[in-house]
Amino acid sequence: MMEPELWFGWFRPDILVEYRQLFLQGAWMTLGMTVVCVVLGGSWGLVLALARLAQSRHAPWSWICRFLLRWPSTVYVSFFRGTPLFVQILLMHFAVMPLFIHPVSGLLIDGDLARTLKQEHGALISGIAALTLNSAAYISEVFRAGIQSISKGQFDAGRSLGFTPMQVMRYVVLPQAFRRMLPPLGNNMIALLKDTSLVSAIGLAEMAYAARTVAGAYARYWEPYLAISLAYWLMTLALTTLLRRLEWHLARSDRS
Amino acid sequence: MLLSRRIFALGFGLVASLSFSAAALAQGSANAQARELVVASSATYAPFAFENKDKQIVGFDIDIIQAIAKQQGFKIKIINTPWSGIFAALNNGDVDLVISGVTINDKRRQSYDFTAPYFAAHQLIAVPKSSTVATLKDLSGKKIAVVNASTADDVASREFGKTSPNIRRFESTPLIISELAGGGVDAAIGDNGVIAYRVSQNPALKTVEDPSFPEEGFGIVVRKGEKPLLDKLNAGLAAIRADGSYGDIYKKWFAKEYKAR
Repeated sequence: MMEPELWFGWFRPDILVEYRQLFLQGAWMTLGMTVVCVVLGGSWGLVLALARLAQSRHAPWSWICRFLLRWPSTVYVSFFRGTPLFVQILLMHFAVMPLFIHPVSGLLIDGDLARTLKQEHGALISGIAALTLNSAAYISEVFRAGIQSISKGQFDAGRSLGFTPMQVMRYVVLPQAFRRMLPPLGNNMIALLKDTSLVSAIGLAEMAYAARTVAGAYARYWEPYLAISLAYWLMTLALTTLLRRLEWHLARSDRS
Repeated sequence: MLLSRRIFALGFGLVASLSFSAAALAQGSANAQARELVVASSATYAPFAFENKDKQIVGFDIDIIQAIAKQQGFKIKIINTPWSGIFAALNNGDVDLVISGVTINDKRRQSYDFTAPYFAAHQLIAVPKSSTVATLKDLSGKKIAVVNASTADDVASREFGKTSPNIRRFESTPLIISELAGGGVDAAIGDNGVIAYRVSQNPALKTVEDPSFPEEGFGIVVRKGEKPLLDKLNAGLAAIRADGSYGDIYKKWFAKEYKAR
């Protein structure tokens, strides 16, 4: 390997090489977490959006829609958007998870299974749970805006063709809304990818954790943080490109 | 982490104080004989010195210096001083001595005088009550929580490899204890005083001592060359160790019998 002195005086690539294993594993962890949270958060966000839009003219359905669907989902979105994600992650990992999964006193899982889960995947489970619940709140607002942007006439037209309300949603409204939702959804995914860095606070070995470890060991900041900045940037660029292609693909009917 | 932060602060304090300390230093020494002694302590380091809910400074360090003062028959006044300015306060004569979990080391000995160690500082392992771990080596293959870049991190990294996935790094001691209590790791390693204190508050945990961890000590700090004051403090410290009051204070804050290592 090249001597550190042969490089720029202020930059020591050798410490990145020394910790490369941690960085590589961290990059995979960051990517994997983002994919899982986008899928879970997207699904849960759609459910939330539909719950916020639920309406009925007839009792008792009108009451059920208001008190069991609209109000709870509104409070949910307000809470997860109104408190810091960092706080949610700590709350999830150190308070909520030990309540449900704990080797001695877990309400949901205890004993050896709880021990294994906590030790091998504890921070990952808490991190995914917190990020999913949080991003779903934001994504539900994107879905809600997209769905509400489709004119009421489309819905009425679907109903008059004999579709049930759910079928109208599935075959008429959502496909049109999805195209309009793509750009803000892309924003959310990029935010989510970067927010995974906050999970290093609970000891999950993703990219920011690797950088923090190196910074701590060597008291050097350029090398680790510049390296992961580039890695995050590359990942978000890749994501942006994918979304561009998807937009182009979905717009093909307009071009022909 | 703590140690390195304290070394940093020392350097900063020196630079900051040199420019304006000369006159104050001379005056401060002359006055120190007659009036009560002013003690600086940084009250953010439970259980050594911290503020209770009534905003009073309490802790092991505070009880020790009060016991020494009582034994030697002088009056003291304790001032909560931020750690970053604590050596500057000593240098420019604002305070006469510092007791604040200061680790005695050669670098500091060049600038200050220390009493004999009043607290043996070393690393300590915290584990669940049921654990069979007895030494650091027993933690091989197990998950360990440490404070990032702390002495414990160094110890674990040296033993198990810097990039070992079994080492989980957190930002503070309360977090590593929480992770251990939540079942996320098999053990937590940290400074003995703070670890023992947190473990004493959690009935599901116990501490394990590995005798291979190197020994360091906390000392009371005075300005260089203040021999009469240093002698008084050392005499007082020896006396409270001999009459058992040191042991009582130790038990009060660390919830176990004091034994010299």
